[in-house]
Amino acid sequence: MNGQNEENLKELFERFAGAEQAERAVEDFRKAEQIFLEYPAPAPDDGLITDIKSEIAEAILPRQVNVFRRISYKTAVVAAAAIVIAAISVKLLEKGGGGPERVAASMIPEALWDSDDISADYVELAAFTAEIEQIEGEVLTLELGENGGNGDTAVSELEMELIAINSDFWKG
Amino acid sequence: MTKSDNLARIIIGCKAGSAESFSELVDIYASRFYGYFYRLTGNNEVSNDLLSELFVKLVEKISSYKGGSFESWLFKVASNIFHDYLRGKQRRKKLLEVRKKQLESRKQEVKKSDSERVDKLQIQLEKLDADMRELIMLRFYSQLKLKEIAEMRSEPIGTTLSRLHRGLKRLRELMER
Repeated sequence: MNGQNEENLKELFERFAGAEQAERAVEDFRKAEQIFLEYPAPAPDDGLITDIKSEIAEAILPRQVNVFRRISYKTAVVAAAAIVIAAISVKLLEKGGGGPERVAASMIPEALWDSDDISADYVELAAFTAEIEQIEGEVLTLELGENGGNGDTAVSELEMELIAINSDFWKG
Repeated sequence: MTKSDNLARIIIGCKAGSAESFSELVDIYASRFYGYFYRLTGNNEVSNDLLSELFVKLVEKISSYKGGSFESWLFKVASNIFHDYLRGKQRRKKLLEVRKKQLESRKQEVKKSDSERVDKLQIQLEKLDADMRELIMLRFYSQLKLKEIAEMRSEPIGTTLSRLHRGLKRLRELMER
């Protein structure tokens, strides 16, 4: 019971009362402290202290098990998350490698697209386009009846030819 | 190693769940807290229980200690335990009233065994009101400064000082009779 004596009681009392009153109050404090020294409280017996230490040890054990459990759960969750992320990343990488070509392939014949001979491909493309345009012109002429004869049959033949060319073109 | 360094080391050990560190805390504080509980209750058995409860609760609560005066924090925990005990006592008292006749003889026995053990100081302390008695116990067993006690009780230091002075003066008068 010494810690509280470090503070200056008189100074503290003087903040709220006169010097004389503060002096008396400090004296009351000292005498009361003396009473407590004359009548010490009983001490806890050794058996109690031993029991308390055992109780503490028992209380700590389940907490340690819980901490271990929490760490294990966290580790398992982190590991599972890492596996899922890795799997998703691999899938994305696989998809990322072939994406744009697949889109282009749906629009342009694969053989043409895969060919390394760009100048030859362009010539072929130009020839096909010219042929289609020529047939389209002929169809239009026939439809307008400018060519005389059996126009319907001729138109049908030309349309069939156009479809075949178109089909050949896209097959490559 | 200074006293505060040693205490800091023990607290770190307790937070890490070391039974040895908790044992060290028991060795340091058991006597003071036993005295505190004994002077508040005047009963050895109850003081034993409250002291055990304090240290077991410490295992649960040590992680919530975030610095500052450890003793002030610990006495706050002890004070809460004492108030819980008082509330429980009130509940028990109501039960006793219902079964007054049945328990009357037993109550007398308890009183008798307690009075055999208590000293003059204990008898006079029980004449003070509960709050004043607790304030005096805090002053003499916690070793806290008045400023810390006032903070703990959430009241201005002037209030703590005048109330404590009144209580000690009254106790002195009672003891001198």
